[in-house]
Amino acid sequence: MTTPTPVVEGLFADTDGGARLYGSRCANCSVPYFPRTDTCRNPDCDDSRIGDAEFGPTGRLWSYSVQNYPSPPPAVYDEPYVPYALGVVDLDDGLRVVGRMDVDDPAALEVGGAVELVLAPLSHDDDGNELISWMFRPA
Amino acid sequence: MRDVAVVGVGMHPFGKFADRSVTDLCHTAVTAALADAGIGWRDVDAVAAASSRFSGGKGWGLNGNDVVEDMGSTGIPVYNMSAGCAAGGNAFNVGYSLVAGGMYDTVLVVGGEKMPKGFIQTSGVEEETDPEFLRQRCVGMPGPAFWALLCRRRMAEFGTTEEQLAGIAVKAHQIGKHNDNARFRQEFSVADVLGSNMVSDPLRLYEICPVSDGAAAAVICSADKARALTSSPVWVAGSAVATMRFDDGLPRGLAGVVPDGPTHHSEAALAVGKALDQAGAEPTDVDFVELQDNTVYYELAFPEDWGLCKPGEAEHLLAAGETMPTGSLPINPSGGFLCFGEATTAMGVFQVAELTWQLRGQAGARQVPGAALGLAQTLGLGGNATAVVLKK
Ligand SMILES: [Zn+2]
Repeated sequence: MTTPTPVVEGLFADTDGGARLYGSRCANCSVPYFPRTDTCRNPDCDDSRIGDAEFGPTGRLWSYSVQNYPSPPPAVYDEPYVPYALGVVDLDDGLRVVGRMDVDDPAALEVGGAVELVLAPLSHDDDGNELISWMFRPA
Repeated sequence: MRDVAVVGVGMHPFGKFADRSVTDLCHTAVTAALADAGIGWRDVDAVAAASSRFSGGKGWGLNGNDVVEDMGSTGIPVYNMSAGCAAGGNAFNVGYSLVAGGMYDTVLVVGGEKMPKGFIQTSGVEEETDPEFLRQRCVGMPGPAFWALLCRRRMAEFGTTEEQLAGIAVKAHQIGKHNDNARFRQEFSVADVLGSNMVSDPLRLYEICPVSDGAAAAVICSADKARALTSSPVWVAGSAVATMRFDDGLPRGLAGVVPDGPTHHSEAALAVGKALDQAGAEPTDVDFVELQDNTVYYELAFPEDWGLCKPGEAEHLLAAGETMPTGSLPINPSGGFLCFGEATTAMGVFQVAELTWQLRGQAGARQVPGAALGLAQTLGLGGNATAVVLKK
């Protein structure tokens, strides 16, 4: 029996409304942070008021690339290596975030295209459990 | 602040040198720079060294101390500067500041590196609080992916083609074949470049600089000293260091804020702007530029960021030959990182050597005609950047 496992705990989860990233937002200057932060780092903000915030699931693809060679550790991937697409996404709630693209054919990606946040497997651990991370899929 | 001049430069050619230590490489560069300046080792008041990330003999980035022990321990102060790929430029800025401020009359600036194989890895930290650890573990996104993402965005905004990207590598090697210090001196065709392996789509192997071993050194001194040594010193018109802005448009960890406008490579733009301000120069006054072309993309983006040309104009300048040494905006007349490969901490000092040779009219077949004002720029891990403006 295998169990899907977050590749890192506490960064994301599935909700009734879809996948969400767990971060922070400053109530004073409204700057978003992912992952969570204890203090606002905006040099123009003079009153750090950080609280928990959730981000996603919709946004637009700012840019993308394809990782044609295996990224060095601590990156994880199954053998044999299959190139995957990466993206930078502008979420509707003001966060610009990096992530893998959950697509079979990177040629289907388009700069400026609508995307949605999903949770999907990056690879498998030694016991065969799926290692889950956040990704983006064309909407 | 006192006027500061570059009076001597030297290099160890770039390549792979399995049987030479980084101190050996620096020895060659330092000896050449001292001879070029016409001074002896005893005349050096202090050393500003770009500290190695990978191969400092003492293993903790104490390159400068190794250089001093190797040249002869005279008891002079050593400043070891760490700023990733911007360390050479950082060391130059510190050396410049020490001479300009009157602390020392003659400072040796040196950078050298023996690089590990393959692409440069970023963080070695295995902690879930480290942004680079998280980016690699959760996404799998190494350094070259940043260049690829920026480049793909430019292709979407300006219609840049794969052939145009390849053309920048072709142009680099047309120039670099004339530079005896360069490692890759063969010419390529556009088809050759397009036929090289895709590394980080849309960037190919020949469009990304590999790593090299190499070293560079510069002797800088006060105006009085300079005039006593030479009738034609090269003057430091501006030297600046900057770090990235909060609203930079490219997240270096996992995420950032969606910026109001294009704000990429903000550290480089800040450093170049400050150096030009110090020089009292407009971007259009720059006769030639040595910029950090880890990837062909930067040769398109940087000149536009800095006002050397208009947004979207860089591809046209390339096609018209204007970025060749004989053109209106010569870029990397040395051949650049693409022809040298990157020996991280040497690069900012290597650029100072090229600027100096160009301004003296000693660059041979890659000479920029009438070069009177040159700009150089580095960009390093941690959001570091440097810029220097030299003039006749
Ligand atoms: Zn704030």
